[in-house]
Amino acid sequence: MDLLDKYKKTWSNQPEEAHKLSKVEIYKMAHSKSTSIVKWIFIIGLLEFLIIIPFLFMETDTKHFEEMNILWLHKTIDIISCAIVALFVIKFYLNYKSISSLDNTKTLMDKIVKTRKTVRNYIFTGLSFISILILVMAFSSINNQFINETILFKIGIISIFIFLGAIFLGLIWLFYQLVYGILLKKLNRNYKELAKLDELN
Amino acid sequence: MQKDLESKFLSDFEKNQNIVHKICRMYTTDQHAHKDLFQEITIQLWKYYSKFRGDAKFSTWMYRVALNTAISLYRKSTRVIKTQDISTVAYKISSVDYDDTEELQLKQLYRAIHRLSDIEKALIFLYLEDKPYKEISETLGISSVNARVKMNRAKEKLKKILNP
Repeated sequence: MDLLDKYKKTWSNQPEEAHKLSKVEIYKMAHSKSTSIVKWIFIIGLLEFLIIIPFLFMETDTKHFEEMNILWLHKTIDIISCAIVALFVIKFYLNYKSISSLDNTKTLMDKIVKTRKTVRNYIFTGLSFISILILVMAFSSINNQFINETILFKIGIISIFIFLGAIFLGLIWLFYQLVYGILLKKLNRNYKELAKLDELN
Repeated sequence: MQKDLESKFLSDFEKNQNIVHKICRMYTTDQHAHKDLFQEITIQLWKYYSKFRGDAKFSTWMYRVALNTAISLYRKSTRVIKTQDISTVAYKISSVDYDDTEELQLKQLYRAIHRLSDIEKALIFLYLEDKPYKEISETLGISSVNARVKMNRAKEKLKKILNP
């Protein structure tokens, strides 16, 4: 008899749990709050949506745009900002809703990863959008306020903007790796283990 | 309607709860974590119970939701006390009329299972529960061929741990 067959017999002979739960206890448990990672992803995701919104709609200097005769740009930026947020919120919500423990393990993990990626894409789209806006404003102030400065000075100003922007984006990326790294450590490990299997064949 | 559904769920679950206890014993090593995981599985089962159509066996459906919770949704509680001895805590199973050698073997088996990865645990659990490959591959979402390959490896690993 194979070693595992012996243990299989032991397994099937194992006595029932001594501390069986009553219906009342099961009822209480079924109605308690979930602490699953899906719930955490949802809460953190919502917070991330809220964090970027004030930046997207920050009170840009309308006068500036007026002077440069590009007030239409100001309005377009607002509309694009709204569209970015709305599209991602809808996508995030649909992804979140599609997560179900009735799926098979691989599909379930796929959907969790996809939901998280939606938020990541939102953050990076938002940040890129803000970065472009800042750059546009930097260029426009060079053309207005620093119009009489040397070329070298202007290049210096732009470089500082780009440098600070890169550091800022880097920090956000690090923060991301940390938060989701901790939250999804186990899931990622299991996901890789199942995915690796597919590559073998 | 809701009341009917709820009372049916409670009696179905009460009868089949041993499945969930077994999964908790495989995935956790102390009583506190056992209870935590059990609770999360209960929440998930109740959440999707209205979608359980009864065309599958309740226990089969339970395997899937419970394993999914253990593998993907559950995060280890930070309150876990690591110093508790697993041999005294995790196996509070009634030992009336239970053979000593068998009890020892069962403890050895659980201890060996604890050293497997989450996916290997799921495979070994479904093997021990005598599930066909078709069900195993459907539960995990991998092809039958992959399930076989991975199962053989998990079994070999378990054998090595049990009999080094």
